[in-house]
Amino acid sequence: MATLEKVDVVIVGAGASGSLYASVLAKAGKKVVLIEAGPDWQMTDLISSDMWGRRVKPSGVPFLFEGKNPYGYAYQGGWGVGGAALHYFANFPRYLPTDFKVKSEHGKGLDWPINYADIAPFYDKVAAEIGVSGDAKSEEIWRPKGQAYPMPPMKTFRNGQVWLKGLEANGIRMVPAAVGMNSVDFKGRPACIYDGWCHVGCPIGALANPTITYLADARKAGAEVRALSTVTRILTDASGTKATGVEYYDAKKEKQVQEASVVILASWAAQNPRLLLNSATDKHPKGLANSSGLLGKYMMAHYASGTWAMFDEDVENHMGTVGAQFMSYERYDKNAKKAKGAFGSTYIVAGTALKTSDLGGFANARIDLFGPKLAEFMQRAKRGITRLTAFGEEMPNIENRIEQASEKDEFGMPLARFTHSFSDEAIALWNANFDEGIEIAKATGAKEFWSARGPMPTIHLFGGTIMGEAAGTSVTNSYGQTHDIANLWVAGPGLFPTEGASNPTYTIFAVSQRGAENLVSKWGSVAG
Amino acid sequence: MSDIARRALIKGAGLSALAFSVGGTQVLLSPRQAHAQNIPFRTLNAEQVETLEALGETLVPGAKQAGIANFVDQQLSVPHGEALLEARILNVRPPYANFYRAALGAVDKASQAKNGDKKFAQLTGDERYAFVDLMRQNKIDGWQGPPGPFIYLLLRSDSVDVVYGTMEGYAALGIPYMPHIAPEKRW
Ligand SMILES: Cc1cc2nc3c(=O)[nH]c(=O)nc-3n(C[C@H](O)[C@H](O)[C@H](O)COP(=O)(O)OP(=O)(O)OC[C@H]3O[C@@H](n4cnc5c(N)ncnc54)[C@H](O)[C@@H]3O)c2cc1C
Ligand code: SF4
Repeated sequence: MATLEKVDVVIVGAGASGSLYASVLAKAGKKVVLIEAGPDWQMTDLISSDMWGRRVKPSGVPFLFEGKNPYGYAYQGGWGVGGAALHYFANFPRYLPTDFKVKSEHGKGLDWPINYADIAPFYDKVAAEIGVSGDAKSEEIWRPKGQAYPMPPMKTFRNGQVWLKGLEANGIRMVPAAVGMNSVDFKGRPACIYDGWCHVGCPIGALANPTITYLADARKAGAEVRALSTVTRILTDASGTKATGVEYYDAKKEKQVQEASVVILASWAAQNPRLLLNSATDKHPKGLANSSGLLGKYMMAHYASGTWAMFDEDVENHMGTVGAQFMSYERYDKNAKKAKGAFGSTYIVAGTALKTSDLGGFANARIDLFGPKLAEFMQRAKRGITRLTAFGEEMPNIENRIEQASEKDEFGMPLARFTHSFSDEAIALWNANFDEGIEIAKATGAKEFWSARGPMPTIHLFGGTIMGEAAGTSVTNSYGQTHDIANLWVAGPGLFPTEGASNPTYTIFAVSQRGAENLVSKWGSVAG
Repeated sequence: MSDIARRALIKGAGLSALAFSVGGTQVLLSPRQAHAQNIPFRTLNAEQVETLEALGETLVPGAKQAGIANFVDQQLSVPHGEALLEARILNVRPPYANFYRAALGAVDKASQAKNGDKKFAQLTGDERYAFVDLMRQNKIDGWQGPPGPFIYLLLRSDSVDVVYGTMEGYAALGIPYMPHIAPEKRW
């Protein structure tokens, strides 16, 4: 085992949040090292194929999944530089003001320690930095005013447009979707050509994956990435008041220690608590940053109610991006479906390019069909099928949690048990959104339509290291600094006390930008 | 920049065909070519191959010729971090061969119990269809091994991959593939 020369910052995970932190800190002159479990992917690795696209996802994840709705980790996760955002769909809706105050407004769930107004300037900053296409003005029917997006909305295609009549008939206004993609050339990166391969990585850089935005900036400013290196512990000093660095296994599977003045965990919402639990010492017997007992608690996922519709016309479903063309917050009111026993926001999107295979492919639109019936369906669907999706919110539940298991991984680190079940209110919202999807489809004039039902999906991931006002009721403050150890920080959606219904990453970036700037501004009092 | 220029910018996807060994040397082939050339199997035994081909063909017509067994077998022989199988993204624990062996064994065992000791590949077309229809709904009594609906989901997906997920599959269906970086060997 070698102990490497101390650096200013060590960041665990070179995904969405880690890359942003690295960029802000390296540009502020800090010596930054990112330790990343997966490969250092290049743009030339992003082969346009659903099969080859699976290479950039985790394989053999170190969790045991339990509960009524076990979490679909490997599909949702990332592995290698860029993290899951190397192959995300780049839908960039914001959270709305109500998302930050669920407890105050509804007496359930939790409040964030900050408001929409605290995050809003950072949404604008992120958009200007990495490029967002959309029409901010049109969104302002639902949210406070902000700056215009740097690029106009993306092109739309029949696969999105055909839904508009049905949505309007149901009183649902749609606006151009905000996406982290280029509708026009932006900062030397080309405009999108609408071939729909975003979900296996966009090798031309029309989609803002972190390797070509924040991580590229960080590297330019001197940050170093150590790929194929897995962190197993965060180290603390004898007094237990200071993080001193991390222990990791390098690409040759040799154990190393990287010392640092500040440690930032950015290994996604499930790994961050797993690492903190595995870093227990006599001073922190329940795991680091766990004086509240809430480490690993309140894990949350989104779910989606999809509606398929088949049209006689060619809906150009091979064209577009895998992000959305139209979006709506019309059903965002958390009580919108109260009459059906549901609680939580719904965020609706329409229009997406479709491929044939993989989980999102149209061969799975009728999972019950096989044999000659499937072959016949593929012929009909290849031009005529399109999907509408409604994302739903679940409330934080302390029983949805990450804990250490006794079984160990290849590095001798305990696996974690990840327990997750949706509440009755979430299930009711999922069902209500299916019902509404059918009403919408009926009003489009589609010749056939049906709900994309299967086991309730788990999408995106939140919680486990929630932020809050006080050390007794949360793991970090609103910047991601742990209450217990000043130079130990956490980044990413694990900080979110509630999850809204919007896709998370625009907010992950905004929260990370706010946290990283705060860290730079108080560096002298934080760094150990 | 024109679209063609953009695509031309991105080259060098040298690894995108699968490596099969023929007479001790490695060659890059698509699973269809591997099937046509009778490339020896590395991981699955003859019985497992037979069951897999019969099941694949029942799930997605054309899967046998498209090389379902060669695809799965080759994928089970590479380190799990390089695997392209749907099993990877559905939280199956590596080594993935364990899952496939258990799944194919479970199918044959249930088939034998239900159909007078006949393994799945020995059933008639109609019998195979009826068996899969029950398996996908978890309606086969006394089932042992990985759950039937999950086997259905995964093997159907593998079969869809080789029949519809390739460039050849898109061409046969008549829809544009439009790759930025094309997999080699039209695979
Ligand atoms: C298919 C798909 C579509 C998506 N679409 C959207 C979308 O449209 N809009 C949206 O907002 N979000 C989307 N997301 C979600 C988005 O990608 C994530 O929210 C985001 O990437 C999370 O950021 P993160 O920094 O927390 O984690 P990640 O970006 O996943 O980065 C975590 C990194 O940590 C590394 N790591 C883990 N453990 C260790 C360890 N022990 N040591 C070292 N490194 C480690 C991982 O390898 C990974 O690279 C999508 C995700 C997927 C998978
Ligand atoms: S559709 Fe656009 S963003 Fe998606 S992969 Fe193609 S060029 Fe990239």
